[in-house]
Amino acid sequence: MITTAATQSTPTAKAAPATSSLAASVKFKAFVVVFGISVPIIYVLCEWFNLPLFTFHPATNRVEFWWGPARSGEGPTMYWYGWTVFTVLVGSVLGLLGTLLPESVVKRIPLALVWLLPVLAFIPLAYSLMPFWTK
Amino acid sequence: MVISVNTFWTILLIVHGLLAIALLGALTHQAVAVLMPVRQAAGGFVTRFRAVPAAGYATAVCVLWILTFLMGAWIYTKYRIYVRIPIEQAGYWKTQGFFELKEHAATLGLGLLPIYWYFWKNAQNPEYEGARKSVTVLLAFICWFNFLVGHVLNNVRGFGS
Repeated sequence: MITTAATQSTPTAKAAPATSSLAASVKFKAFVVVFGISVPIIYVLCEWFNLPLFTFHPATNRVEFWWGPARSGEGPTMYWYGWTVFTVLVGSVLGLLGTLLPESVVKRIPLALVWLLPVLAFIPLAYSLMPFWTK
Repeated sequence: MVISVNTFWTILLIVHGLLAIALLGALTHQAVAVLMPVRQAAGGFVTRFRAVPAAGYATAVCVLWILTFLMGAWIYTKYRIYVRIPIEQAGYWKTQGFFELKEHAATLGLGLLPIYWYFWKNAQNPEYEGARKSVTVLLAFICWFNFLVGHVLNNVRGFGS
């Protein structure tokens, strides 16, 4: 018996219709491609230049807009939430702007960037953690 | 029923871990299926492991990643004070460094989910085959990395220790 794996395709296979209306949408494709490319770049910039949308103080449950320093007697600060929310928001805005691009432009964006950029992002992110590796 | 604060956070940690295991299983099946697609049926365990209908996992993987992410983000508030500080005091700097890398990896993975879902919902489109394979394997790698780092950190200093 021959089984057909869901991922199987032959070189001559033609594009089959997408399995949902959202997945068939050209604008949605533009959004996910631009979002996927933007996120690693924005996140690295946020982490590298310390640009959180907000700072969380876990000991006091206090949230401070943008970057805030640790205060005496209030414990440590957390910036990761602020980096993540900022990245997702800016990535979404860029993705929405991407839906305005003509389909011909979106088709020319190399899809390899969506996985290559996250892989490359690990280099500056790991480097920024150098104090942890060298102590 | 009243439970202690320690028990509450330990339950959340266990839920986070269980969600991560489900995600790990789904992503590993999918990654193996795209790396070594089955052309012919066979009775072996490995072949059956590879022969899953991988496209059907996409939405579940996205939901599980988001749920695991949210649970991890919730626990992180307590981790920062009750786990990280003692780890630093004990001088486990590299262990903590790997945790920092885990949080970065989780966010980068989150950013991949929309395109990952899109690729899998267009699984029969050969134009996306290479990128779909790479994104799936990358997500599986991140999931394994995060799972192992989280597991080691829990061994170093889990909640309640």
